[in-house]
Amino acid sequence: MDLSVNGPKVYVRIEWLYQKFAGSMADIFGNFGNIVTQTTVSLFAVTIILMIIGLVGSRNLTKRPGKLQVVTEKLVGMLYGLVEDTMGKHNSHFTPYIGTLFLSSIIGSLIGTTAIFRSATGDLSVTLAWALVTTGMVWYNNIKNFGFKAWLKGFTEPIVVMTPMNIVSEIAQPISMAFRHFGNVAGGSVLTSLIYAALAVASKALFGWLPAMALELFPPVLQAGIPAFLSLYFDFFSGFVQAFVFCLLTMVYVAAACPPPEELKSVKE
Amino acid sequence: MKVVFDAFESFVGVNVWTMLFAWCNLLIIYLFLKKILFVPVKKMIDSRQKEVDDMYSTAEAAENDAKAMKAEYEKKLESANEESEEILRTAQRRALLKEEEILKEASVEAARIRERADEEIALEKKRMLGEIKDEVSGMAIDIASAVIGREVSPSEHEKFIDNFIDELGTN
Repeated sequence: MDLSVNGPKVYVRIEWLYQKFAGSMADIFGNFGNIVTQTTVSLFAVTIILMIIGLVGSRNLTKRPGKLQVVTEKLVGMLYGLVEDTMGKHNSHFTPYIGTLFLSSIIGSLIGTTAIFRSATGDLSVTLAWALVTTGMVWYNNIKNFGFKAWLKGFTEPIVVMTPMNIVSEIAQPISMAFRHFGNVAGGSVLTSLIYAALAVASKALFGWLPAMALELFPPVLQAGIPAFLSLYFDFFSGFVQAFVFCLLTMVYVAAACPPPEELKSVKE
Repeated sequence: MKVVFDAFESFVGVNVWTMLFAWCNLLIIYLFLKKILFVPVKKMIDSRQKEVDDMYSTAEAAENDAKAMKAEYEKKLESANEESEEILRTAQRRALLKEEEILKEASVEAARIRERADEEIALEKKRMLGEIKDEVSGMAIDIASAVIGREVSPSEHEKFIDNFIDELGTN
């Protein structure tokens, strides 16, 4: 059983930059030279798919909806409902971003099941980029709503001794979000390939009595069926749950930075 | 720059280029979906919701109007009933008065007629009595003439005849 767990394939690489970081840096920072990778291609595909979904879903919007429009409106309405329930009615304008994040995450995870593309969310760079956007939104809204000084002062609360803790937790927030999403998707794919390999071995053991020639031609039959159920969990269920969790965390963090107008007024006074 | 196909990135690693690409894609998808999907669909949902709300409120107003109208009509109908009853009552009263009047008039008339009849009867009686008296006096003269054997003239024997008649009446 030979199995290697790899990151995304590299397609285009800037050689001198790669050389500069490859040797001395740890694994985590060894990717700086790679301009185009499998993930880049996946993200491109996700963008195209989402654009098509958007175009198809919003085609011929009328007061008397057709079947497709009913579905689109239901989903968009649900999304708005979710955002308004979680963040409050005054934060309804965040819905397009949350929706974009949600769809990108789901399609980015599911695109791995096509066997043509690698899951975009199975690359730490992508989830980290998204998590940093969330952090950026939180900081921006905090400063916009409470002022720069109040935001900085927020780190010393409830007592000054807590300041280092607060700073660490602020940094840990995007990292934990990124790793949670990445880990679930990438872990799922690793587990799936492990099971594939194991099933191949089991297959070989089961049909070991066949002559060597036949064994070469004989497909690993046990690989059919079982991985499909695992894929239901690791790709579809987990992909959905992780997208939901990522969006929910984004909503909760951003909502904390965007309190309702009345509350904001009382805070400022 | 070099095209490679056999190299892999590390499993857990950060690639700034991929991050940049992720950001760009996220921005593009966000702007695109916001413009073409979320905002128009939300607008459509809201406008339909508003239309439905308007419809309901219009219907409610119409219902209230109808209810008010109904109440008004019912009130009118009631007053009309009262009015008709009043009219009937007045008519009845007037009819009663009229009846009484007519009855009274009739009885007065009857009394008058009876009176006149009585008078007439009395007159007739008187006339008859006179006539009878004349007849009887004639007969008496005739009888007396026969008895006496000579002419009895009414003028000469008036006193005698009258006495005779009076005696006849008393007997």
